[in-house]
Amino acid sequence: MELLGYLLSALTPLNILMALGGVILGTVIGALPGLSATMAVAVLVPFTFTMDPATGLIALGAIYTGAIYGGAFAAILVNTPGTPSAIATTFDGFPMAKRGDGSLAVTLATLSSVFGGLVGGVFLLLLSPPLAKIALAFGPPEYFWLAMFGLTLISALSVGNTLKGLMGGCFGLMLAMVGVAVVGGDLRFTMNSQILLGGFDIVSALIGLYCIPVLIDLVATRDPHLQVETGNRGIRLAEAFGIAWNSKFNVIRSAILGTVIGVLPGAGGSVAGLVSYSEARRSSKHPERFGKGEPDGVIATETANNATVGGGFIPTLVLGIPGTPPDAIILGALLVQGIKIGPTLFTQQGEIVYTFIFGLLIATVLMLPAGLLIGRYAYKSIASIPKTMLVPTIAFLTIIGSFAIHSNIHDVQMMFGLGIAGWILNRCGFAPSPIVLGLVLGQIAEQGFVQSYLIGNARGDILGMFFARPISLGIVALAAFTLLYPVYAHRKKNRDLAKQAAENPGIDIISDAQASATIPKTGLLSQPRDMAGTIVALILIVICAWALSQTPAMTPMGSVFPTTIASVLLVFAAIFVGINILRKSGSGTVDPARDTESTPRRIGLVVAMGVWIAAIPFIGFLAAGILAFFALIAISNYDGLPAKSIVLHVLSGCVIVSAMYFLMAEILLIRMPQGTLF
Amino acid sequence: MRKLALAAAFAATLISGPAFAEYPEKTVNLILPFNAGGESDVSARFQQPYFEKITGQQMVIQYMAGAGGAQAWSQLNSMEGDGYTLMGINLPHTVLQPMEKDVGYETDDLVAVNYFHYTPNALFVPKDSEFQNLQQLIDYAKANPGVVTFSGSGSNSANQIGQTQFDELAGITTTYIPFSGTGPAVTAILGSQVTAGFNYVTSGVNNGDGMRMLAVASEERVKAFPDVPTFKELGFDLVGGAYRGIAVPKSTPEDVRKKLSDIISKINQNPEFIKKMEDAGFVLTNVPYGKMADFVAQKKKEYRAIGEKLGIANR
Repeated sequence: MELLGYLLSALTPLNILMALGGVILGTVIGALPGLSATMAVAVLVPFTFTMDPATGLIALGAIYTGAIYGGAFAAILVNTPGTPSAIATTFDGFPMAKRGDGSLAVTLATLSSVFGGLVGGVFLLLLSPPLAKIALAFGPPEYFWLAMFGLTLISALSVGNTLKGLMGGCFGLMLAMVGVAVVGGDLRFTMNSQILLGGFDIVSALIGLYCIPVLIDLVATRDPHLQVETGNRGIRLAEAFGIAWNSKFNVIRSAILGTVIGVLPGAGGSVAGLVSYSEARRSSKHPERFGKGEPDGVIATETANNATVGGGFIPTLVLGIPGTPPDAIILGALLVQGIKIGPTLFTQQGEIVYTFIFGLLIATVLMLPAGLLIGRYAYKSIASIPKTMLVPTIAFLTIIGSFAIHSNIHDVQMMFGLGIAGWILNRCGFAPSPIVLGLVLGQIAEQGFVQSYLIGNARGDILGMFFARPISLGIVALAAFTLLYPVYAHRKKNRDLAKQAAENPGIDIISDAQASATIPKTGLLSQPRDMAGTIVALILIVICAWALSQTPAMTPMGSVFPTTIASVLLVFAAIFVGINILRKSGSGTVDPARDTESTPRRIGLVVAMGVWIAAIPFIGFLAAGILAFFALIAISNYDGLPAKSIVLHVLSGCVIVSAMYFLMAEILLIRMPQGTLF
Repeated sequence: MRKLALAAAFAATLISGPAFAEYPEKTVNLILPFNAGGESDVSARFQQPYFEKITGQQMVIQYMAGAGGAQAWSQLNSMEGDGYTLMGINLPHTVLQPMEKDVGYETDDLVAVNYFHYTPNALFVPKDSEFQNLQQLIDYAKANPGVVTFSGSGSNSANQIGQTQFDELAGITTTYIPFSGTGPAVTAILGSQVTAGFNYVTSGVNNGDGMRMLAVASEERVKAFPDVPTFKELGFDLVGGAYRGIAVPKSTPEDVRKKLSDIISKINQNPEFIKKMEDAGFVLTNVPYGKMADFVAQKKKEYRAIGEKLGIANR
């Protein structure tokens, strides 16, 4: 048994140590939004030149898989995906943490990630060459439909609010088009600004849209960020095992979906997570619980995104086509080692490749103890740390994270601007997730669409290109099923309940239909007028009109998608405005909790962060960070601080800021802006 | 007298400055304006160990992708010109982008110190394609105008220039399909999503089993593929591809620019490095700092002519 020999050669103490160290470093980097596996792997590649190739590669693979897993921490604990792969983890992970189940969510994420990682790794080990064919079978139309499938999740995410969800999704798609177009080469919607040249970076948008609203609302009340769980239930491992066991179909489906989507070079962890989440929701007995803290949502996303790690290495190693940037860097490291990539890799250079794959599997297993340990402390510290420390620390992390993406202050400005816009939109009933979905999937959708159109046009068969390819049709069918199945299930449930009610007239069963009839069934028009939403819709109409006025100057290739999306958004927004004009103006219901919220503190936070970002180029990153840290302590402080506590806060502030600065400037070697101070 | 000479020598070393004498003294950052995994990345990874061997200092690679490279290039001159911030620079990108639209920099703003290699364009077809040689493909394209699709990396890129020139030289009409990078463009060929592809020779190395290279756009046959004819041999005057080099911010002192250029030239002469690069399909060039002005001026002229044909010479 040759493979066993490779396993034994992977099991040297040094390799295990490298795997463990890599997983821990990766988890920490992944947990910090903005810091990515790409950076860590890129910095560490030179070390692998001096190491034994297999050992070096194991370290790189361990960091990568750890980082994908680590993204779940920020998603669960602060509602901000640490990596784009963890977008769908926020949907249920954060609600779980909010209600006191944070440690359960983290443990579930750990178990799922380990399982997903192992499945992806085993597929990589045993089935690489056949699976690589999937990557080749996916052409532009398939990518287009895959993106469309991802977008169907919008309807699930905005139940009862579909129009706003669709508008948000279209707005996200519009954001994705800003900058230089890959297809066509046009410069679109940049308003001649240097900042928008590269478009909206997904990571900086994620940090802004998810994290800044959390911060703004965090300072507004005295309530703790997360419920501290009742009693000391530790990491709730047995409970998590039980939940995962009951969801075994979800786990297995998500792992396979994750591996297969990981094989596609153009998709990656974020798409895998979203698709698996969507599928888990569709097949669940309780789809209505999704988005409100359903463990299955966390399980699906985390299983799938770690399965993409093994899946992503399949085209990298077999075809030499890397699926993700970390794959690409590891591929580069392999090439420099003189390893020839290709189908013969597994037979002719089996030693290094199999040692690497086993190393990846070992690292994935080590994620279990490492993750549970880190998770235990991460949750405890986030839940118990006083707000006066939590607010400045998270704020600092948003700035550091968005800066780190390109060592560029523009990304920080964009993150902050989107964050404030996101908060306002959220207040008006526009959730951030549809916007993010549009932004993440926009490029895949547009490139797939235009390429399919061009190829179809050349072959004289545009319709056939989109609708006559088996894989495409499969995805279309799945998407339609996902969209329509909930409607069918809902009707069926009501019918069954009605039947039951008819059979047992004595028992008063309230069907869903009857229950919901009390609110929206009386018609769209009888709800009170949504003033805030209408204003947003009007602004969107203006934006669309402006966007449409820009398209004639573009090439046909570059203008087809913006024209389509802007027109669709225009229609949605116009319908929304129309409905609201017909509605009676009503007082609406004002959330009573809002009275106790402090608007001055919110404004204080926004101003403090704005000044902070503006000051970085002048006084330096470290100086601005420390000063702003103190300002935010003051803004988030509700009770008088005793002198001892102040000293403690100031000291820990300096330590946190300096430690993060050190990690960025000295370990990840990110170029920091030099100001006049330090 | 000897004392005086010693003192003079000592003074001379002082004047010439420590930056020249000891550069580089610490880790050097190389910013690549693209994502990991492309040709810029791979060639920089090849350089990395030799840079360390020659200078004793590490070269760290960072990525600043966006706007086809313009995001990074438009910021280069605002970075620190101390010789420790370097940036990858590419042709024809840095000529075509500012020619077409305002992307925040002009070609002549960028200070390239050394162009050290280029990747010739090459024409690939899938392994099981019916086309065994270039003439068959041309005949088919003549009979079916517009039906032949070529994948390539990006719009208005070296690949698209190759396709445009080829169409003109062969008197055919084909359809260019832009992809978001070499990886996806090659995947499209391997999966037979397109008829053929205009890509770089380097792609043929990793995917040799899945694709057939019909012709290469270099002056001479590429060492990694001795059996593949050049377009010139086949009667088409088509030579081109992407040149890659290293640039520095404008504020970088002259002596540092020169020293850096020397280091890169020295790496280019290392036999081990040459072998690795050539095996991977790169063609080494040696355009040191001293010859840079002429080289860039000549390329600008060449690309402007092509840009006018493509209809993108707007500025």
